[in-house]
Order: sequence, then structure tokens, then C-alpha cells
Amino acid sequence: MKPDKFIEVINVTKEFNDGTKALDNCSLTFDNQKVTVIIGPSGSGKSTLLRMLNLLELPTSGDIMFEGNSILKDKVDLRVHRESTGMVFQNFNLFPHLTVLDNINLAQISVKQKTKKEATEISLNLLSQVGLLNKQNNYPSQLSGGEKQRIAIVRALALSPKVMLFDEPTSALDPEMIKEVLAVMKSLAKSGMTMIVVTHEMDFAKKFADHIVVMDKGKIIEEGHPDLIFNNPKHSRTIQFLDSVLNK
Amino acid sequence: MTLLLAVISVVLGTVLGLIPAFLRLSSNKFAKFIGTAYVEIIRGTPLLVQVLLIYSMIKLKVFIFLGIDLSSFIPGMLALLINSSAYVSEVIRGGILSVDKGQREAGLSLGLTQGTIMKKIIMPQAVKNIIPALGNEFVTMIKETSIFMYLGIAELMYSALIIRSDTYAIKETYIVVALLYFLLTYPTSKWMSSIERRLKVSEAR
Ligand SMILES: Nc1ncnc2c1ncn2[C@@H]1O[C@H](COP(=O)(O)OP(=O)(O)OP(=O)(O)O)[C@@H](O)[C@H]1O
Ligand SMILES: [Mg+2]
Repeated sequence: MKPDKFIEVINVTKEFNDGTKALDNCSLTFDNQKVTVIIGPSGSGKSTLLRMLNLLELPTSGDIMFEGNSILKDKVDLRVHRESTGMVFQNFNLFPHLTVLDNINLAQISVKQKTKKEATEISLNLLSQVGLLNKQNNYPSQLSGGEKQRIAIVRALALSPKVMLFDEPTSALDPEMIKEVLAVMKSLAKSGMTMIVVTHEMDFAKKFADHIVVMDKGKIIEEGHPDLIFNNPKHSRTIQFLDSVLNK
Repeated sequence: MTLLLAVISVVLGTVLGLIPAFLRLSSNKFAKFIGTAYVEIIRGTPLLVQVLLIYSMIKLKVFIFLGIDLSSFIPGMLALLINSSAYVSEVIRGGILSVDKGQREAGLSLGLTQGTIMKKIIMPQAVKNIIPALGNEFVTMIKETSIFMYLGIAELMYSALIIRSDTYAIKETYIVVALLYFLLTYPTSKWMSSIERRLKVSEAR
């Protein structure tokens, strides 16, 4: 068993070059094999926090520990860290000039040094799990949004990451497609994957989150079990935010 | 002849243009400065001055080959090449910058190296934007070459005379001319790019 404190964010502040303080002295812990959902109003720093976990953004100050070791030390290989943290973006970011299969194979071959045959086997297996085996030779432009996002999830999973980061994975999708993508995320959660999800899908948060983190203006204002956050929120900003998303 | 010059200078200019393009895209400040200086200086001075400068620096004996006087062809070629490399490098840089930054982030998040991201993800997409723009550059090149062929040759004869008489500091004169031009055009191009930037920001909103 890995240590419970899987990822620790310690006093992290992020100030962009233009002076925007996106994160203001944030500290929190993500547990192993747990689903954490981050919620909060637009601009509260959710994406910045998530992107910091695979170092797409570097903190201005503070430290981030991964399985007990800082990932900000000079000798840490960024690429090795990123390989073990899968990321799914709001806009899918599939590679438009590559087929579905090549999208999934690319990093397996060039990062994991797999042969094309080994990579393809893994890719096809994962594609069949999300019901998209028949799309393997299509280009991203020939897919629906929901299909694109499922492929993007598969592309990240193909590297056998230790944690999956999701940044509003369903925000660019129609309701029908949201279901397909959530279904994949739910089965991933059941399989014991450590997941950190920024989302406005409160049903997903209620049913599948082990832990909810509420952010506002770069700060973590409240965190706890979903029952606690949804039924008995303490912070007035949390109440306000939940009101605005639940009564839409 | 004009066409030949244009074709060669665009093809070789593309290859040469890759260097300043990547220098300017680099995160290394010094590399960025060198690349920017090269592009700005060449774009900020007229082709004719560049041609004359090269002619005054490289003096070849008259050598007729297949009816072409190589002694004027080669330096002319070289000047055009240097000139087109600066313009082409901007086309290449623009093509690379036009690729959505999410593509690079997706590559990084998969643990790919910067090199692999450039080669396998960014460049194949950038090429689609670069090719049509390169076509435009080709047309411009043909126009400029013909001007240079028309004006240049007479001018060159004249400059050759001067060089032979050996009384003027011809190189220095051209350098001064180039410098004056640059002082005129550089602020203008700076101003243009700041407008461009502001337009981009307003688009992003
Ligand atoms: N590259 C950047 N440069 C400057 N400011 C930035 C940058 N990225 C984000 N910000 C700012 O940082 C703050 C936090 O942004 P972030 O994207 O983390 O918010 P968010 O909670 O994900 O919002 P949303 O729900 O709209 O996605 C915002 O004020 C945003 O404008
Ligand atoms: Mg966001």
C-alpha cells in the first residue's frame, strides 16, 4: 500500500507575471485511491491548482510532495513525473493530425519505449473498454465531443498513471455526451484510480467524491466529505456557490 | 532567370529561415535577441541596399556560365537568400505560434520531450499554416527579384565603376544607408506589432 498522503500541497502561492494571484497560500492533501472533487466559482484558481500538480504551472512559492518526495527539487525529472500524472483537458487537446490509435500510441512508444505492437495492444484494449474500438482509424475531427473526451482519457490511461487529473472534462459537452464521459470516469473511480477532478457536475461530486475542496479567490475556503459540504456547508461563500450551481 | 533566383532563394531561404525562427522562439534570452536582431535588421533595411552591400563585399571575377554572369548572380543570390530567410523565418514562427497552446500542454502532460512535441505535434500542424504563407512570400520574392534584376544591374555596373576607381568607401556608405533605413523602419514595425498584440488580446476576450 502506498502512503495515504499521496500528494501534499504545502503553502503554495502562484502569482502570474501580470500580478494576478491565482493561488494564495494553499495547503491540502490528496489521498491515495480517493476521488477528490474541486469546486468553486470561475477564476478561483481551480485550474491553476490542478495544473500545478503536473507542473504545467510552477508555484511562486511553497512545495508539492508526491509520494513523500518534493517534485520541485532540481534533480526531479519533470517528464517522469508527468508520465505518472495523466491529465484530461476541457478542450480534449487530441492531436488533430493523428488517428485515434496514433494519438494513444504516441507517448507509449516515445515515452514508455514500447514497440508499436505492444502499444497498439494496450490502446485497443482500452478503446474497447470505452466502447470506441470501431473509431481507432478515425481522425479527431470525425468524432463527437463525448467520443473525443473518452479518447483523451484513454490516451492518458495508456501510460498507466498513478493519478488522473481532470479539468472540467464535461464543460464543453452536450448533456447526452456528458453522461458517456461521466460513465467512463465513474468506472475509473470504482477501479480504485486516484482522481482529482475540477467539475461543475454536482451529482458526480455527491455520489463519487470521497472528498470535496471548495475554492474561492485563490484560497481553499472549505473541505470535507460530500455529505458535510452539500448538507452542512459552513462558509457563506460555499453556500452562495452551491446555491448558484444547484438552482440553475 | 528572375524565376530561378526566386525559386532558389525561397527554397534555401526556408531552410535558413528555420534558424532565426527557432532562435526567436527559444526561451533563452540571448538566442532570442540574436534571432530578433537578425530578422529586424534585415526586414528594416531595403533589399537593394542589402544587395549592394553584398556586392561591395564579395567581388568575383566576371565568369560567364550558360549565358549567366555568375560574378553577379552569386552575390545577388546570396543577398536574396539572406533577405528571404528573415521573412520566411517570420512565416515559420507565425505558423508555429498559431498552433493551439493546448497541443503543447497535452504533449507535456504525456511526458513527451520538447523535441518530440515540436517534431511530432507542433510542426505537422504548423506546416499547414506555413505552406500558403510561403506561397505569398514566393510571389513577393519574384516581384522583388525582378526589381532587383532591373534596377540592380544598372546600379551594380555603376558601383563596380566606383569600386574600380577605388576612391570611395563604398561598403561604409551602404552600411550607413542601411542604418538610416533601419532607424526609420524599426520603430514603425515595433509600433505595428504592439497594435497587433493589442488586437490579439481583445480577440481573446
Ligand atoms: N497564464 C495566466 N496569466 C495570468 N493570469 C492567469 C493565467 N492563468 C490564469 N490566470 C488568472 O488566475 C486566476 C485563476 O485562474 P484559474 O484558471 O485557475 O481559475 P478557475 O477556477 O479554473 O476558473 P474557471 O472555472 O473559469 O476555469 C484568474 O484570475 C485568471 O484570470
Ligand atoms: Mg479552469
